[in-house]
Amino acid sequence: MVKAIAQDDLLGSLLKDDSSKVKENITTATFKSTRIVNMQSVEMTGKGNLEFMISHHFGNFWKEGKGLQNLSQLLGFNAGTATTYLSFDYSFKDWMNFGFAMTGDSKYETWGKFRLMRQQSGKKNIPVTVDYFALASVDAAYGPSPDDNTWNRFSFMHQLLIARKFSDNFSLQLMPTLIHLNYVPYGINNTNNIFNLGLGGRYKLSHKTAITFEYSHQFNGYENLLDESASAVNYVPDLFSIGYDWDTGGHIFQFFLTSTTSSQNITQLSSNLNDYKKGNFSLGFTINRSYGIKKVVQTH
Amino acid sequence: MKKIITILFAAIFFVNFLHAQTYKTRDGYIFFNPNKDQSHKDYASASKEATAIFKVETNEVALLVPMKTFHFNNALLEEHFNDNYLHSDKFPNATFKGKLTGFNKDMLTKDGVYNISSEGQVTLHGVTKNFSSPVKLEVKGKTATFNCVFKIKAEDYKIDIPGLVKPKLSDETPLLATIVFQLN
Repeated sequence: MVKAIAQDDLLGSLLKDDSSKVKENITTATFKSTRIVNMQSVEMTGKGNLEFMISHHFGNFWKEGKGLQNLSQLLGFNAGTATTYLSFDYSFKDWMNFGFAMTGDSKYETWGKFRLMRQQSGKKNIPVTVDYFALASVDAAYGPSPDDNTWNRFSFMHQLLIARKFSDNFSLQLMPTLIHLNYVPYGINNTNNIFNLGLGGRYKLSHKTAITFEYSHQFNGYENLLDESASAVNYVPDLFSIGYDWDTGGHIFQFFLTSTTSSQNITQLSSNLNDYKKGNFSLGFTINRSYGIKKVVQTH
Repeated sequence: MKKIITILFAAIFFVNFLHAQTYKTRDGYIFFNPNKDQSHKDYASASKEATAIFKVETNEVALLVPMKTFHFNNALLEEHFNDNYLHSDKFPNATFKGKLTGFNKDMLTKDGVYNISSEGQVTLHGVTKNFSSPVKLEVKGKTATFNCVFKIKAEDYKIDIPGLVKPKLSDETPLLATIVFQLN
């Protein structure tokens, strides 16, 4: 009889059915963009979507001892130096993404990003989203390869992206990173394998805007090194960036201030020359746009 | 004891009897294309997971579609749809409840196409509006297909469309529902 009464309100019975179903509440939109600032985020372009991205890193915001010249160069914007980064990435599956980029200085890179688990509640409880990101970079600069071995032009990066969306507005991401350089100049402290640990996050200001930040620390291979001309060099182990995301509906614009002038992750995390403590930041921006090129929805 | 069992049987029988008058489906198809020019489908979306229930005795119908089952070709649009426009975490379902007019039971036993109509309330984005629309009922053997077009005005349901995309969208978005019931 109870059932008969419940059926008096048909919509009520549908709602009851719906709420009694064990649902998979999969967390989406942990970050707005596929990048936090310089680093990859756990997000990837949707299945069957091609994303095109342009990014610029300008010259130093404020060079020490240059005084007013910094202003005449409009804080690095008009310094005549900018690194251009152009990339395409395409997702064959919801969990698999491949990309290709030119990163300036005749360097090219290609990568795969694989989602290992997704933050969700309900049917299964998983507190974090985990991606594995693998990147290969080649230096195609004209001239002979180091030690005349083409293989020496390659370097690789492996990264685990572990992110949690704590609330609608706040997400954090942890990024342990291993960089392998096939070639390093001779030097007692020079090393092929470099370890980093990064932390990134975003705080949403509104539905369309967010503040993002990232920090990464390099644990080895930055002190008392020798460069290719055998002169001593020290790199800065810290990378610090802060960005502002603006989602216009079709594009995502990112404006950022970062302590590097390179647009390549490997350079940023293994041989960064810009010290954020001295205020060696540079301005930059990223525009990305994604196109649905494969139909995934039945539309008649 | 015997009495209880008898009552129990009677109850089960009664419930089943009632149940036999009610048809249900879990894979209703809802499609919409908000583009002004309907031949462009860049913003089109569809859900295949609408649930519907139809009570023959009283001509009552109800339809429920979880917002997150709507999928788009561009994943970014899907995120905007849920996060910025329909606020799907706050308002997880769109529903319709109403009555069919011009319907009679005999239609279900004879193959054919019948033009009837429905009247009721649509709830979307937390706003409930009265609604009526023609319905095409197609009966073929053991299936009854209801085809209905809901015309939805975004501002009626307090859905904010940014000025930038507004010129590309039609004022009234036709929402096409195709609900197939298996008759038994």
